[in-house]
Amino acid sequence: MIAEETLLDELRRPETLDKAFEVLVNTYKERLYWHIRRIVLNHDDSDDVLQNTFIKVYKNINGFKGESQLYSWMYRIATNESLTFLKKKSNKMGISDAELQGRMVSNLQADVYFDGDEIQIKLQEAIARLPEKQKLVFNMKYFQEMKYEEISGILHTSVGGLKASYHLAVKKLEAFLKED
Amino acid sequence: MKKTNNKKDFKVPEGYFEGFTDKLMERIKTSNGDQKNLMLPKSDGFKVPDTYFEGLHSKIQSKLKEDETKVIPLNPWRKQLYYAAASVAIVVLLTIAVQFNQSPELTFESLANSDIEDYFEQTDLGFSTYEIAEVIPVDDLEVSDILEYQFKDENIIDYLDDDIDNIEELNLLDND
Repeated sequence: MIAEETLLDELRRPETLDKAFEVLVNTYKERLYWHIRRIVLNHDDSDDVLQNTFIKVYKNINGFKGESQLYSWMYRIATNESLTFLKKKSNKMGISDAELQGRMVSNLQADVYFDGDEIQIKLQEAIARLPEKQKLVFNMKYFQEMKYEEISGILHTSVGGLKASYHLAVKKLEAFLKED
Repeated sequence: MKKTNNKKDFKVPEGYFEGFTDKLMERIKTSNGDQKNLMLPKSDGFKVPDTYFEGLHSKIQSKLKEDETKVIPLNPWRKQLYYAAASVAIVVLLTIAVQFNQSPELTFESLANSDIEDYFEQTDLGFSTYEIAEVIPVDDLEVSDILEYQFKDENIIDYLDDDIDNIEELNLLDND
């Protein structure tokens, strides 16, 4: 895998930009896709958000100061794009964020790109009820198996705070799944 | 080795010490944090269409090209005509504005509160709650500034009793 500094350097030079961008997309597309998918749940929406994320990366790469790692910066863009997408969707539909989350989970049963069983649907229902921060931390830690240090670089939250969020999220999810 | 129960005044069930290690290990295993997670399914059931990732880069490239493509005007002379007309209009408007500059200047105070509230409700400012928290002077705020409903102390105590399983969790931030 190409070193991040080299890739960044190539992304900043117009003559190597396109080639380096292709490497960037191919390196991070799956990881970012699954991060987005667990926020917006539906494949088509995830595809839109993922493309917009990479377009933002392409257009703003020269503004990236290198204060954090490149992948943390891209994860941040992906997170913001996903949350903004959901916000716009609920505004457009004239419903609350919680109501939108509920509808998104109900739609999973009819989704051809979801083959979860009853317990997996119930888990999504439970995740949908978590506060935004706990939801993000849980998905990143539990499903994407990211380290707290990595999540901390993306969400700008202390490792201690993340541990607390994850701990609370797991307790709430277990309690919800235990209900009959 | 010194015997610790010479007088045999207490007894233990037969075979107690033989099975002790296994029992202890079992208990440690079930109280382990990872074990608790077994309650939750490890996969989430999401799928992607076959070959979705293969075509992604070209899809993004064509979207980028679409953005970059510039529309070439069919009648460039018409554009110049518009510029000329716009320049004349600006000169006329400026003259009128200078002559009738008696009207009060538009200030923030002159905006109706409803217009400001409407702007915040309709515009997606893209601020996270953390960014908002940074600019709002928390010390000057009371809960009653944000919430219309006034909570009584007993409501808060009821909430803490019902929803917080372990009050010590609230201190996790400091402990970790």
